[in-house]
Amino acid sequence: MPDIQIPSIDLGVSLQLLIIFGGAMVLLLADLFSGEGNKRIVGYIALLFVVGAAAAGVPYWDAPRSTFNGMLVLDNFALTLNWIFLLSTAITILISLEYLPRQGIERGEYYALLLFALGGMMLLAQGTDLIVLFLGLELLSITLYVLAGFAYPRLSSEEAAMKYLLIGAFAAGFLVFGIALLYGATGTSSLAGIANKLGSGLAADDVAFMLAGAALVIIGFGYKISMAPFHMWTPDVYEGSPTPVAAFMSVGTKGAGFAALARLLLVALGSQYATWGLILAILAAVTMVIGNVSAVAQTNVKRMLAYSSIGHAGYILMGVLSAGSPAAANRGIEGFLFYLLAYSLTNLGAFAVLIALEQRGEAAWSLDDFAGLWHRQPFLAIAMALCMFSLAGVPPTAGFWGKFYVFTAAWEAGLQWLAVVGVITSAIAAFFYLRIIVQMFMRDPVREISPSLDRNLMIGVGLAALGVIVFGISPTPVIDLVQGSVLALSR
Amino acid sequence: MNILIMVIFVVLAAFTLAAGVMVVTVKNIIHAALWLIASFFSVAAMYLLMEAEFIAIVQVLVYVGAISILVLFAIMLTRHVTGEGVRQLYKRWWIALIVAAALFGVLIVPTVFNYEWAVQPSGAQISIASTVEIGTAFMREYLLPFEVASVLLLVALIGAIVIAFEERSTRRRVLTLAEEVEQRRQRNESLRLAPTTHASETSE
Repeated sequence: MPDIQIPSIDLGVSLQLLIIFGGAMVLLLADLFSGEGNKRIVGYIALLFVVGAAAAGVPYWDAPRSTFNGMLVLDNFALTLNWIFLLSTAITILISLEYLPRQGIERGEYYALLLFALGGMMLLAQGTDLIVLFLGLELLSITLYVLAGFAYPRLSSEEAAMKYLLIGAFAAGFLVFGIALLYGATGTSSLAGIANKLGSGLAADDVAFMLAGAALVIIGFGYKISMAPFHMWTPDVYEGSPTPVAAFMSVGTKGAGFAALARLLLVALGSQYATWGLILAILAAVTMVIGNVSAVAQTNVKRMLAYSSIGHAGYILMGVLSAGSPAAANRGIEGFLFYLLAYSLTNLGAFAVLIALEQRGEAAWSLDDFAGLWHRQPFLAIAMALCMFSLAGVPPTAGFWGKFYVFTAAWEAGLQWLAVVGVITSAIAAFFYLRIIVQMFMRDPVREISPSLDRNLMIGVGLAALGVIVFGISPTPVIDLVQGSVLALSR
Repeated sequence: MNILIMVIFVVLAAFTLAAGVMVVTVKNIIHAALWLIASFFSVAAMYLLMEAEFIAIVQVLVYVGAISILVLFAIMLTRHVTGEGVRQLYKRWWIALIVAAALFGVLIVPTVFNYEWAVQPSGAQISIASTVEIGTAFMREYLLPFEVASVLLLVALIGAIVIAFEERSTRRRVLTLAEEVEQRRQRNESLRLAPTTHASETSE
C-alpha cells in the first residue's frame, strides 16, 4: 500500500482562517471557565482574535498566493474582503456585549458562533473551488440559523430561525444541484478549471448543462444576498432575529455571498458575460425597485432597514455585474468593494442605534419613537442621521461615494439605463431615510423612552459613524485599497 | 455463476421493494422504521453484490447505524404519535401518484433508451473508487474541504446544543408536536363545551 503523502501547505494563506477557527475553539473553553453572568470576557477575547486576524493579513498584501491545490487563495481582493468582514464582526461584537445581558440571552457560545460565521465568510472570500464555496456558505448559514433563534424564548426569534432554516435549506438545494450540473458539464469544480474548459469550447449538450448549472448556482447565492425574486424571507428574519444578529446578517451574509458570486461570475463564467450580464442587470433593477418601494410603506424602522438592505443588494449587484463587462472590469470591482465597506459601516451603525432604543421585552422601533431623539440623546441622533444620509447617498458620506462608484461602473459597462434606475430608486429611498431625520430633529417626543447607551455600544456606534463620515470626506485611502484589490482578481 | 448472481439480485431487489412498500403501509410507525432498516440492509447487500464494499459498509454504518437510530429516537421522544388510527392515504393520493410516476419516468425513460445495455465487460480492469483512492483524495486533493467539513460538523454540534440545552428556570420547556396538538385539542374542546357560560374562564 502506498504511503499517503500530505501535500505541503502554505499556512500563510489560511493564517487568518486558522486564527479565527482556533479563536472560536478557545472561546468555547473560555466560556466554560468564565463565571455565570459574566460572559463579556468571552466577547473581549473574541475581539482580540478578530484584531489579531486583521493584523495577520497585513504582510500578505500584494503577495497573492494559493494553496490546498488551488482551492484557497489569498489575493488582495480576498484580503480586502476579509478586512471588511473582520471590521463588521468587531462592531457586531461591540454592540452585542451589553445587549445580550440586557435581553437575558447572554451565553458564551454566541461569540464562538460569531467567529465560526466569520470563518465561513472568509472561506467564501478566499475559496476558488465550488466545493469550498459551498462548505463556506453552509458554515455561515448553519451558524446564522442558530444565531437567529438565539433569543430563544421569544417567539419572533424562533419564527425567524425557522423561516431562515427552511429558506436556507431550499437555497442550498439549488446551489448543490447547480454545482453538480456545472461539474458534469466541465468535469472540474475549480473555478479556474471551469474557465479553462469554457475557453476551449464545450459540446452543445454540455453548454446547456453548464448554463442550467450556472443559473441554479446564481439562484442559490441569490437567496443569500436577497436578490429580487428570492428576497421574501429578509424582512421577517431581520425583524425577528436579535438585533445585533440582524445587523451581522445584513452585512455579513450579503458581503460573503457577493464575494463568492463575484469570483464565480468573473473568474469561472467571465466568458459568458453576454449571457448573464443582461439577466443580472434586470434582476438588479428589480431588486432596487422592490426593496426601496416596499421600504417607503414601513413604519417599523427595523423592517424598513430590512427592505432597504434588499435595495442595497441591488446596488452592490450592479457593481459586481458591471465588472463582467471588459469596459468596466476594474471599476466594477472597485465599486463593489467600496460600496460593501460603506454599506457595512452604515448599516451596522443604524442597527446599533436601534439596539440603544431597545428595552428588555419592549422594542421602540416605530417611527414615532425616533421623534425628538435629538433632544434626549444628541449623540445617537447625530450617528443615526449620518447613517441615514449615507444610506441615502448624500455627500459627504461614504454611501455617496459608494453609489457614485457603482453608477459610474454601470455607465461605463454600457448599462446606462441601469444607472438611471439606480438614481431614481435612490431618490425614492431618500424619502424614507430623511423622514427619520425629520422625526429625530424636528418633532417632539411622543412617549418617554430612555435609550440605554453603554460604553461598548457607544464605541460601536461611534466607530461606524466615524467611518461613514471620514471615508466620506476623504475617500482616498479606501479608493487606493480597492484599486489595489482589483489587479489581483483580473490577473 | 451468472445465474446465481441473477437469482441473488432478484431476491434482494424484491426484498428491498417489499420492505419499502411495508414502510409506507404498516400502521405502527415503529414497525415502519424497522422495515426501513431492513430495506437499508438489503440495499447494502446489493452494493456488496456490485463489489462496492466500501459503499456497502458506509451504507450500514450511516443509514442503519446512525440515521435509523435517529428516526427511532425521534419517534420515541414524540410520544402519542404511534400512528395507530392515522389515515395512511392522503385524500388526493392519485395526484401524488401521477406526479411521482411522471418524475420517475423523466429520470428512467431516457436512461433506458439511451444506455447500451448489452455490452459485455471488456477484459480490462475498470478501476472503481476504492477506499485507498478515496482516502488519498481526502488527504491530498480534497484536504481543505475535508478539514472544513469537520469544522462544519463541530458548528452543527454546538448549534444543536445551544438550541436544545435548557438552562433551569431561564428557559421554557419545549413541547413536542404531539403535546401541542393535544393541548390545542383540549382547549378547543373546553371552548366547545362551554361556549357562553364560562366564556370568561376559558378565554384566558
